[in-house]
Amino acid sequence: MSTDTEGESLARREPDTARPEPERPYGYVVGSAPDGVERELSHDEFDPVGTLTLIFAYFVILVVMWVFMYFVEFLGRGLTVVG
Amino acid sequence: MATFVDRYPEEASVVKACLTVAFVSLGIGAFFGLVQALHRTGVVRLFSSVDYYTVLTAHGVLLALVFTIFFLLGLFTWAITRSLERPLPNIRLTWAWVGLAQAGTVATAAAILAGFVPDIGVSADVLFTFYAPMKAHPLFYAGLAMFIVGTWLAGADWFLAYREWRKDNPDERIPLQTFMVLTTMLMWYLATIGVAVEVVVFLLPWSFGIVETVNPLLTRTLFWFFGHPVVYFWLMPAYLMWYTILPKLAGGRLFSDPLARVVFVLFLLLSTPVGIHHQYLDPGIAEGFKFIAMTNTMFLLLPSLLTAFTVVASMEHGARQRGGEGRLRWLGALPWRDPAFTGMALAGLMFAAGGFSGMINAGMNINYLIHNTLWVPGHFHLTVGTAVALTMMAGSYWLVPQLTGRKLYSRPIGLAQVVLWFVGMVFMSNAMHRAGLAGVPRRTAEPQYNSFDFTTTMGSIEELQLQIAVGGTLLFVSVVLFSFNMLASAIEDPVETPVDDRLPAPLSGADGSPRVLDNLRLWTAIAVVLVVLAYTLPLASIVQDAGLFGNVPGVPMLIGNFVESLAGVIA
Ligand code: HEM
Ligand SMILES: [Cu+2]
Repeated sequence: MSTDTEGESLARREPDTARPEPERPYGYVVGSAPDGVERELSHDEFDPVGTLTLIFAYFVILVVMWVFMYFVEFLGRGLTVVG
Repeated sequence: MATFVDRYPEEASVVKACLTVAFVSLGIGAFFGLVQALHRTGVVRLFSSVDYYTVLTAHGVLLALVFTIFFLLGLFTWAITRSLERPLPNIRLTWAWVGLAQAGTVATAAAILAGFVPDIGVSADVLFTFYAPMKAHPLFYAGLAMFIVGTWLAGADWFLAYREWRKDNPDERIPLQTFMVLTTMLMWYLATIGVAVEVVVFLLPWSFGIVETVNPLLTRTLFWFFGHPVVYFWLMPAYLMWYTILPKLAGGRLFSDPLARVVFVLFLLLSTPVGIHHQYLDPGIAEGFKFIAMTNTMFLLLPSLLTAFTVVASMEHGARQRGGEGRLRWLGALPWRDPAFTGMALAGLMFAAGGFSGMINAGMNINYLIHNTLWVPGHFHLTVGTAVALTMMAGSYWLVPQLTGRKLYSRPIGLAQVVLWFVGMVFMSNAMHRAGLAGVPRRTAEPQYNSFDFTTTMGSIEELQLQIAVGGTLLFVSVVLFSFNMLASAIEDPVETPVDDRLPAPLSGADGSPRVLDNLRLWTAIAVVLVVLAYTLPLASIVQDAGLFGNVPGVPMLIGNFVESLAGVIA
């Protein structure tokens, strides 16, 4: 079994079909994405630019929608009694 | 390479017992969901509107409380056992809590479902937010109490397992999954104080007739003391899977273990002192207290944003290891044909959308726009109804084979199932949000009124109703596919390696991070102080206003009788 502190067994580079493993069910095995790993990236080699792009896009959407909700949907209607 | 069931057969049976209850509740709850979606949109009305609250209570309780929490009980048992790498210390205790929680669930469900047969004289149409003045049969509250004590004992079991491990490993860092389970349970102990007092001190004696009256605002406030943190109790199993399983499913590794710990600590600290944000419109609570709750709520955005970053970065790591390139093209290198991966990724995407409507709910003033409208169910079907429920279903495709030693019956059906859920929810939830903006109320069997028409900014009400009905139908079909796949998987032949169950180490491990992160006593103490600060004054003023036991005699929840007597009075 693998534990939280183990890292070595990650990359089994051979593609799915190359490995004769009779006790593995036929077809795609759930959780077998590590079989498709082509290169190992350590913490320092990995630069999450894609993540930053996505999060930035999400922020922009959030702000635009919030502004719309607040100024158009909320303030755009009649009086609301607060307090 | 043997899997979980070969190493821990007893624990695997416990997990299976929990997941079975979860999946049965999911099936029944989804059926009620379909029925009420069709009913309130006027597409098909199978039953009398008088029974609507029985259906709605069953839907809310079975899905939001039973399905989610039983899945949690199973998942956490698995996570503790595998991450501590040892069997549970006392399997009798383990089976005791499983039995207690199951018995409680049966009692509560029986009390609710009995509402369909008025002759029995038992009913509990109090919705899953069971505060006064609505009153249920004592069986409902007694079952709830058993269920909650069951979860407490489960937590005790896991803490005992951790203590045993600690004896043999005095200097090691708490394994990440165990850390997540323990912090979640500490939050749960703190949160359930509210509901325990509500049920045991007030509702149960009141329902038995021992006390005549209660203070409804007090029971509401105690409910929401529990009612906000319970959403994190739903969410933490999903987070556990996003942090520790999803990176592997993507072909990568968790970006940062210490960041994950920080997030769970923040949830322990901040989940409870915010419950009053569900009571922005309650008279009897001063605006100042509501403002404090709103401020605390905004701080809760922090751990959610940290999670978004860490989880997406872990997926990107997987994609790049699998050869992905570019700013966004790497998305194509993710293992989209794996239902466990795709389901969790889509669940995360919906959670991001839920973050938007949650921001609207959380604002003290803008909340007035959507309070008690269909917007609110629109919001939480994105969060608990998809981020949590879809992650649990998707995770099952990876988890269940480890418990049975049998492979998943069909991967394509699994993939179709998670995509169908996503599509169904896009329809249903989006339409619910928009209907809410048009003012359509939630919790109503017949949201149509004489000489009044809802107006929408875009599209028409009919179009929204149709989308809710179509979306609800797709969601129900998705649950049918899920149940079928799970049943068919149970009769596959056992194989040596039914699933790839290895979990790689995080990119940056716990070793370099501050030890204080693992100081559970410290974090618990701070969490208690924050709760005392947030709740002492509001509770004191509520009790001062109307007394501990108030003067409200309660509204019997037998609408049928009520309608009859009303008709009698009018005639
Ligand atoms: C088959 C899929 C589902 C369908 C068709 C569905 C449909 C609905 C509808 C139409 C309502 C609003 C009823 C009203 O306010 O009058 C509702 C309420 C609710 N749903 Fe669902 N739902 C589904 C799945 C889920 C899931 C997976 C969860 C949680 C895990 C969930 C939790 C809830 C809760 C807590 C309520 C509020 C009950 C109340 O107001 O007391 N639903 N659902
Ligand atoms: Cu809340």
